[in-house]
Amino acid sequence: MSLFHTRLIILLGLVVTLGSCKKEEPAPEDENELITTVRLKFTENGTTTTQTFEWKDLDGDGGAAPTISAISLRPSRTYKLEVEFLNESVSPAESINSEILEEADEHLVVVTPSASSLFTYTATDKDSRSLPIGLAGTLVTGTASTGTIKVQLRHQPPVNGQPVKNGTVTPGSDDANVTFPLTLVP
Amino acid sequence: MNKKELPPFPLFPLHPTRSKRRWQPQFFAGWVLFLLFHSAYAQTPKDCHCLIKGVVKDRETRQPIVGAILRIEGTSFFATTDTSGRYKIDQICQGKYTLECRIVGYKVIKTSIVLEHSAEEDLNLSEDEVHLQDVEIVARRIQTPLSQKSSLLEGQALDLTRGETLGDALKKISGVTTLQTGASISKPVIHGLHSNRVVIMNNGIRQEGQQWGSEHAPEIDPFIAKRLTVVKGAAGVRYGSDAIAGVILVEPDELPKSPRLSGEVNAAAFSNGRIGVVSGTLQGGLPQWKGWTWRIQGTLKNGGNIRTPDYFMANTGVRENNFSATTGYRSSRFGVEAFFSQFVNNIGIFSGSHIGSTSDLLNVIKNGEPFIKTGFTRNIERPNQLILHNLLKGKAFYNFNGNRLSWTVGRQFNRRAEYDLHGPQASTNPALLFRITTLTSDLVLDHKPLGNGKMSGQLGLSGLYQYNFTDGRPLIPDFEQTNIGIFGLERWVFQHWELEAGARFDWRQLDVFRFVGTTPDPRHHSFTNGSGTVGVVYTPDEKLSFRANFGTAWRPPTPNELYSKGVHHGAASYEEGDETLRPEVAYNLIGSVEYTSQRFKGELGMYHNQISDFIYLKPQAEPILTIRGAFPYFKYTQTDATFTGFDLDTQWDVIPKRFSHNLKLSYLRAYDRREQGYLVFIPANRIENELRWSVGKVFSSKDTYLMLSHLWVDKQRRVPPNSDFMEPPSAYHLWNINIGGMLSLKELSQLHWTFAVQNVLNTSYRDYLNRFRYFATEQGRNVSLKLRYTF
Repeated sequence: MSLFHTRLIILLGLVVTLGSCKKEEPAPEDENELITTVRLKFTENGTTTTQTFEWKDLDGDGGAAPTISAISLRPSRTYKLEVEFLNESVSPAESINSEILEEADEHLVVVTPSASSLFTYTATDKDSRSLPIGLAGTLVTGTASTGTIKVQLRHQPPVNGQPVKNGTVTPGSDDANVTFPLTLVP
Repeated sequence: MNKKELPPFPLFPLHPTRSKRRWQPQFFAGWVLFLLFHSAYAQTPKDCHCLIKGVVKDRETRQPIVGAILRIEGTSFFATTDTSGRYKIDQICQGKYTLECRIVGYKVIKTSIVLEHSAEEDLNLSEDEVHLQDVEIVARRIQTPLSQKSSLLEGQALDLTRGETLGDALKKISGVTTLQTGASISKPVIHGLHSNRVVIMNNGIRQEGQQWGSEHAPEIDPFIAKRLTVVKGAAGVRYGSDAIAGVILVEPDELPKSPRLSGEVNAAAFSNGRIGVVSGTLQGGLPQWKGWTWRIQGTLKNGGNIRTPDYFMANTGVRENNFSATTGYRSSRFGVEAFFSQFVNNIGIFSGSHIGSTSDLLNVIKNGEPFIKTGFTRNIERPNQLILHNLLKGKAFYNFNGNRLSWTVGRQFNRRAEYDLHGPQASTNPALLFRITTLTSDLVLDHKPLGNGKMSGQLGLSGLYQYNFTDGRPLIPDFEQTNIGIFGLERWVFQHWELEAGARFDWRQLDVFRFVGTTPDPRHHSFTNGSGTVGVVYTPDEKLSFRANFGTAWRPPTPNELYSKGVHHGAASYEEGDETLRPEVAYNLIGSVEYTSQRFKGELGMYHNQISDFIYLKPQAEPILTIRGAFPYFKYTQTDATFTGFDLDTQWDVIPKRFSHNLKLSYLRAYDRREQGYLVFIPANRIENELRWSVGKVFSSKDTYLMLSHLWVDKQRRVPPNSDFMEPPSAYHLWNINIGGMLSLKELSQLHWTFAVQNVLNTSYRDYLNRFRYFATEQGRNVSLKLRYTF
């Protein structure tokens, strides 16, 4: 067999053996940034009593249905509201708030009533451009009624290097968008 | 006959080599003609002692072909090639004729011949010296089913698409549309079907990436292709059982036959997105190793934000760098070839399409345009896709006693990283990462013609082994699969009839490494089934031909259809697989009529594809409530679907060689028989008219032409009620202009140029098959200049 034919065989052999590389073991998928829980902590002004309500979906999207607390507050009061986002699918549970604060310039928490007479919410925290973040704020309730309270975590990262966060809900997309039932009873 | 196969040769080329080069596009259409001898003087009395003889060879292997039938059109003269591929037809009167060569398994070749002699000739001269044309015919082996009409894009038609994506190039073929995700991601759709139902053969290897995803475009550098062939309709026997809709063959040129250094440089610049593309090919031989030749090829592409008529779309840039290298040895008995290609692509995903919830989507639709508009930039930010595809291929063939045994092996690795504009973490990890490795091996025996050369065919064994890893957001589990198929395909030629029949049997094992939480919950699936094809071609005369084919194909459910579970962000839907899905089976009937006359060519292709247990995403009554709000809930379900339609193609030379008209019309109706309703996401009907004016020589530009085309796409009216977030977009009209020509620079170097304007009127429109139709309108006017320099 000539040197030439040997070359041919080496070439073909190379092609075949290249296929037989070692491969790794399968592993479970890992969602790197899951939010399972939205926790609302209300403290009525002048008191130290806190009320905590949660919207929780521990197994992520799909699967078991989420559990949602019904929020009950008193009419015509002023509350301090703290919003917390958590990933409780891992142990120990991790709070996403620190990450939101790190990138405060591209996040906004928006709290919206189903009817404007229900309450007003004013964020008290500010980012580096003096725009609201909304993780902490003041919520003033209206007259006794029922409705819903919608909490959105808006992700508003810069587009083509230009910041887009402007303090309104419009830019960006939802990282969380949950709705709680709300009752205002004396 | 396909017009592209008609010889465009001048009848008396004074410099055969030059004319061959000049007509390069047609040269590749499949044949070479050498006029070895001719004498052209005044003609007087008819002499009927003319003779044609020659040899018929395989274009690739240069092996003689036994049993080819040669016929002189319009006469009863015919001959068959002997064991050395030689033929001879004598006692022909002088005149102009068309010689037709028909071989089973090869394309039909037609060539013009002129048999004349001068009055002063010494009639005692031997016939061979005076009245003879020695015509060498080089035939290209057909890889596609004969009775299933395939459409070709090559030569100038392919040049017009240079710099565009593979999907956009294929759109030039009637019956093929694209499924778009913005402007830069386009997937071919054949007769309404796409993704796993279309097999793409990239240089002889089944392209295996994550082709199930509608936003996953084929990872192929279009510049590799010298020829794009689309086989419409089920072609499961030869290419794998899952070719339910058809097959796309992406074929590079054969390796050069001469060791001379040659090559080409392509450059294209587009105004929209300010896209620049450069691609180069260099090929030659190895002087000290006779028979060895090589080719290297590479492409660079860079583009920025695409502009619609009214605004720029943020983050729609694209960057691509690809290369390939081929080397091979070929003799008449055997040959080997090694090929490696790498495709690397970074695509920005329009940031205005990023939605976190259904309400985000509804807000954008209500707004009618993106909330955020920016200027032009080439920077690509998140969300984006970073894709790498490597292909290593080895091929060998051996010819013995008229048989040909070929073996093709391939190893592909596809890495797809999808970066989301997501979450508060500034991590460098992709949100979703797929790594899929595929090994393929195909052994095919083309047996020698049997029954006096009337029957030829092939037998094959093909294997595939594949494994996939998914990291990040749960979407599809890791899996491993093995597929083994055996097939046989035979063809007969009997006078005006050609018959074809084939069968295939496949066996597939699928192991899915599913996890419930962190606990393994593996699943095993096993699928076996057969597919078949029968077809006939009837050619009553040279002007007319009829084809009919009945083919079946089947496709086992893919891991995403079985196990996907999660929110599909681009589609704002929650999609869930079903592990009890059965394979879907297609029964495909196609027929076509082709009429060719001097000035008119028309082809009507009709099809009816019935798919039992067609797998699709069915909307569920209740939405799924997630932390990002409620998402419409879709589940992979099976139904019985039919795809019925036709494609009409005509070409009319209004003023021969000056002015021609071209029409393409596609009609498709897809129906869900179980639900008694229509199917979603089916391309709308369309008509394209093209006027071409061949100007000829303008300054030093030869073969200058001007083309004006108009495309009308109807609104898709056949959609199930309440199936979409917004009504299908309205019908639209698009106007395009192409002007081009060729400059001969030196003996063998030429410069082809094309100036084009797409969407001349800067029309603002949306297309139903663009997944981003909710977020933005389509690309606006796009002016481009394309140059191709060959040497």
